[in-house]
Amino acid sequence: MAIYKTAINKPITTGLIFVAVIVLGLFSLTRLPIDQMPEMDPPYVTVMTTYAGANASDIETNITKIIENSLNSVDGLKNITSTSKDNMSVVTLEFEWGENIDEALNDIRSYVDLLYDNLPDGVSRPMILKLNSSAMPILQFGFTANESYPGLDRILEDNVVNVLNRVDGIGNITVSGAPQRYVYIDLDPKQLDAYGIPLELVGNAISANNLDLASGTVKMGKEQYQMRVKGEYVESSEIADIVVTTTATGKQIFVRDLATVRDTIKDLSLDEKINSRDGARLIITKQTGANTVAIAREVRKEMEKIKKTLPPDIEVTLIRDGSEEIVNAINGLTSSIFYALLFVVLVVLVFLGNWRSTLIIALTIPISLVTSFIYLLLADSSLNIISLASLTVAIGMVVDDAIVVLENITKHIERGESPREAAIYATNEVWTSVIATTLVLVAVFVPLTMIPGMMGIMFKELGWIITIVVCVSTTAAISLIPMLSSKMLREKTFYLTREAREEAERKEARKWFTFDKTIGRLFSAVEAAYANFLRFCLRHKLPTFLVALAFFFVSMIPVVTGKVGMDFMKEQDNGQISVSAELQRGTRIEETLKTARHMEEDIRQLLGDDIIALSTNAGSNDDAGFAALFNSTTNNKISMTIRCTKKYDRKRSIFEMQEELRKCFAEYPELVTYQVSQGGMGGGSNNSLSVEVYGYDFNQTTAFTQELRRRVEQNVKGARDTRISRDEDRAELKIELDKQKLALHGLNESTVALYVRNRVNGMAAGYLKEDGEEYNIVVRLREEYRDAISDIEQLSIPTATGRIVKLEELGHVEEYWCPPTIERKNRQRYLTLTVMPYKTSLRDMAMAVQDEIDQMGVPAGIHVSLAGSYEDQQESTRAMMLVGALIILLVYIVMASQFESFGKPAIIMAAIPFALTGAVLALLITGENIDMVGMLGLVLLIGIVVKNGIVLVDYINLLRERNIELNEAIALSGQSRLRPVMMTAFTTILGMIPMATSTAEGSEMWTTMGLVVIGGLTVSTFVTLIIVPVLYGGMERIREKAFGNRNKNKFVFMNINLNEE
Amino acid sequence: MIVFNQASTERVEYMLDTLGIRGFTFWENVQGRGHENGDPHRGTHTWPEMNNAVMTVIDDDKVDELLLSVRKLDKRNEEVGIRAFVWTIDQMV
Repeated sequence: MAIYKTAINKPITTGLIFVAVIVLGLFSLTRLPIDQMPEMDPPYVTVMTTYAGANASDIETNITKIIENSLNSVDGLKNITSTSKDNMSVVTLEFEWGENIDEALNDIRSYVDLLYDNLPDGVSRPMILKLNSSAMPILQFGFTANESYPGLDRILEDNVVNVLNRVDGIGNITVSGAPQRYVYIDLDPKQLDAYGIPLELVGNAISANNLDLASGTVKMGKEQYQMRVKGEYVESSEIADIVVTTTATGKQIFVRDLATVRDTIKDLSLDEKINSRDGARLIITKQTGANTVAIAREVRKEMEKIKKTLPPDIEVTLIRDGSEEIVNAINGLTSSIFYALLFVVLVVLVFLGNWRSTLIIALTIPISLVTSFIYLLLADSSLNIISLASLTVAIGMVVDDAIVVLENITKHIERGESPREAAIYATNEVWTSVIATTLVLVAVFVPLTMIPGMMGIMFKELGWIITIVVCVSTTAAISLIPMLSSKMLREKTFYLTREAREEAERKEARKWFTFDKTIGRLFSAVEAAYANFLRFCLRHKLPTFLVALAFFFVSMIPVVTGKVGMDFMKEQDNGQISVSAELQRGTRIEETLKTARHMEEDIRQLLGDDIIALSTNAGSNDDAGFAALFNSTTNNKISMTIRCTKKYDRKRSIFEMQEELRKCFAEYPELVTYQVSQGGMGGGSNNSLSVEVYGYDFNQTTAFTQELRRRVEQNVKGARDTRISRDEDRAELKIELDKQKLALHGLNESTVALYVRNRVNGMAAGYLKEDGEEYNIVVRLREEYRDAISDIEQLSIPTATGRIVKLEELGHVEEYWCPPTIERKNRQRYLTLTVMPYKTSLRDMAMAVQDEIDQMGVPAGIHVSLAGSYEDQQESTRAMMLVGALIILLVYIVMASQFESFGKPAIIMAAIPFALTGAVLALLITGENIDMVGMLGLVLLIGIVVKNGIVLVDYINLLRERNIELNEAIALSGQSRLRPVMMTAFTTILGMIPMATSTAEGSEMWTTMGLVVIGGLTVSTFVTLIIVPVLYGGMERIREKAFGNRNKNKFVFMNINLNEE
Repeated sequence: MIVFNQASTERVEYMLDTLGIRGFTFWENVQGRGHENGDPHRGTHTWPEMNNAVMTVIDDDKVDELLLSVRKLDKRNEEVGIRAFVWTIDQMV
């Protein structure tokens, strides 16, 4: 027995099955975590190897190349990039999105095991790391303090970190920029030299007097005692009284004779300012798979409690809350869904004019949508932007089938049938075509799940959700809808007597507002007008067709001229700006800070009230002072995070604000480069262009790239935030030791290096313990004796014989420019120039940059390619095109088999190009560029447009077979199908409006899709209503001329003249 | 022999019951079209509706009553359609 018959005969079973589905769905909903995106772990694996003492090019030849060569054959590898810098090689393997990374990890591990023997001795075992998206901080708090600042580290550790660690799902809590307590022993080298004492002696004396050692057990009588030597410092002042040594004259030399002991906070190196006040930042990450939103809520709640326990001068500011974006985006989409639901129900009510029918149809929406939650739970996914946006898209589609079924049932009831029988037989008439149109949608959405790459991960969820939702809605349309109709719809009242009928008619006439009199009459008028227009067009087929064609080509002009450009993904206004700036290499941290303060002031002035929090950090966590020059330092770098008000609370968009900041920073002479970009989860941008310059010769490639950057900044419109990945050569001090002189003094390079390090960077001399915490004791020269090249040359180095020599006797110190880190991609040296578009599309900018490159001419030995988001865009566009072609083919197959005709599907598909026209127009009017999500909208359009065409052509076919004259059949079916077509179009368009107009955070991503669908569907619906019938008319006419006589020949026996025989 | 739109099945059965007619032969899904007007009932995509047919052998005096009921039902909803044909039964086993 057919499903609809069973459903009608067993209303309780049917009803309860759907109730069960709803309950399951709602249950799944409560179990779903909320996240920003579907789980998509970036497919990167990093192999890190350290080789102490080697410089960048040593690392490159001895380690990086070997690792690269052998890992190059790992399955599924897309790109292999590497960075070789002092002491360290980092090889990153990029896989295709969706590749099984765990399998790749195993592969890599075995390759690394094999190659380890080929690496030089002394190389550490390579570390293999998988990049994990949960390592991104979800929350950042700023703590500012006045009096309590020196003790902030301790306060945060005890009162905040320990408390927060108890929150479920917290991964890691890091305190950045809190002052650390240090005990410095600042030695005076003149005193040391006077006594002939090396620095190490002082350090050793200090650590040797700071002991807690077990010295065995002592048995006394019946007891047994543990014995310890206990001499740990209780207070830092004790250190001053330690005896370092005794001179030959018997005089004791104390630490206080040689040095000053400072119990203080660590010398400035990393500077944290929050809202221009001293402070520290607390960075919180979550565990893998934990629910960001729940953790953030919990942490914020805890933080409120913690605030009360903190000293009054400590202020807590929320710098960044990763969950806020998620919650806002989700809330925005949720309200879009509800608005869409409302609009769709209103459309149905207006078109059907019957609240019972409207209620029945409205019921299918939640049922279909709720099933998607079951899918999400089974697929281990979450409520995220993609899944919710899919639901918004689906709302307009799920009612279509229900409408078709219900309409036919109503028609039967109007004729006087009982609702029950009408439901059975009316459903029987339409159920196959309902399934066929659903198949068309499935043919559109299933291929979407097959897109490769990052886009694929996003569209996979969308594809499945819509497929599932649409299938469920069809099932509901042929089971639940007939069942509900049989129960809820009223039989047409039948009057036994003529008086009763006339009385009822009079009553009806007295009502001034009925559906039939108002909206119904309007519809009828529109339908009649449309039919007349259609007849007119059918008489003038060729002109109509040419006008449409011209319309199409005119609309393509903006695309060709670049008025409507192409981006990869929209940048989102999430109220975060991150600023990074760089001063001249080797700038002292103090100078950097001055600039930072200046910038802060300007930012405050420019952005004013739009700032909620401004956090700045500069420098690095390395040790300060001259020593920083020996290390790779970031003392010249400033980075800022600005949290602004929500975008609907301010007049300027974040992009305009960024542009203002850029203009302001351009006037800073001391800034070498600066970037003002979008802050956010990854901090990375998803709409950038990178120019990759490959070449072996550093100077050549660097010069080329710098020239390109200059030209791009000058000539390319809208190019902002240019950045070259290769750091400029950095200034370093190098001590060149004379090996013969070293040998003379019984020294070697490594001992000298250690001595220099002890004097400049400091020698660790144990810890000062207090309340279970350990604080470093550092012995080193006083700062004024180690902050010039001449001072370094004057360092005293103890020889093997106990004598003391000056460093300058062993060699000389000189300043030089050290080679930068070496980056490689696919086993070639390269560097990148990153450019961000501002008020221009990524594609146009890429073309302009390519022009610049062509004008410059690429010298031999250099190879240039455009990459970054632009490359992703190209790849995704290609993938989309391919999937688009696949979809069109599948849809064609489904339609051809439905109509058993090759020509008719082609006619229906003739409306598809006009969807493009509408999309372009919509984008042109709103001044948006198309991006990947917009492309997705185009793909969706294929399905919806075709569906409308099917409805129309199917009915023309039907009327033709009922022997109605061609043009009249077309006009009549146009008249009769206008309402369903308009209904499908309106439900979808109105369902999209909340999405297109949403101003919620993160909505940028979807507005383009909304616009594309609205524009495309509006235009293509009108075109479908005119061009498709006209083409049908034309084709039928030709076909009839060609094959018209065939039927007659088939039944030629009727013409046999029996009399002849 | 009564031929009618499937959608009237329940009403026809009710009619037979109220008239106290017990015996009948019932065909489901039969096709047909009328001489003058009304849509053909062919069960195709073009003409999706179908008929059922019931044959009942009754006493002569009940025939008029049954035809009257059929006419009432036809009057109730003409578009749905019902027709009755009367034969004489010569023999039966």
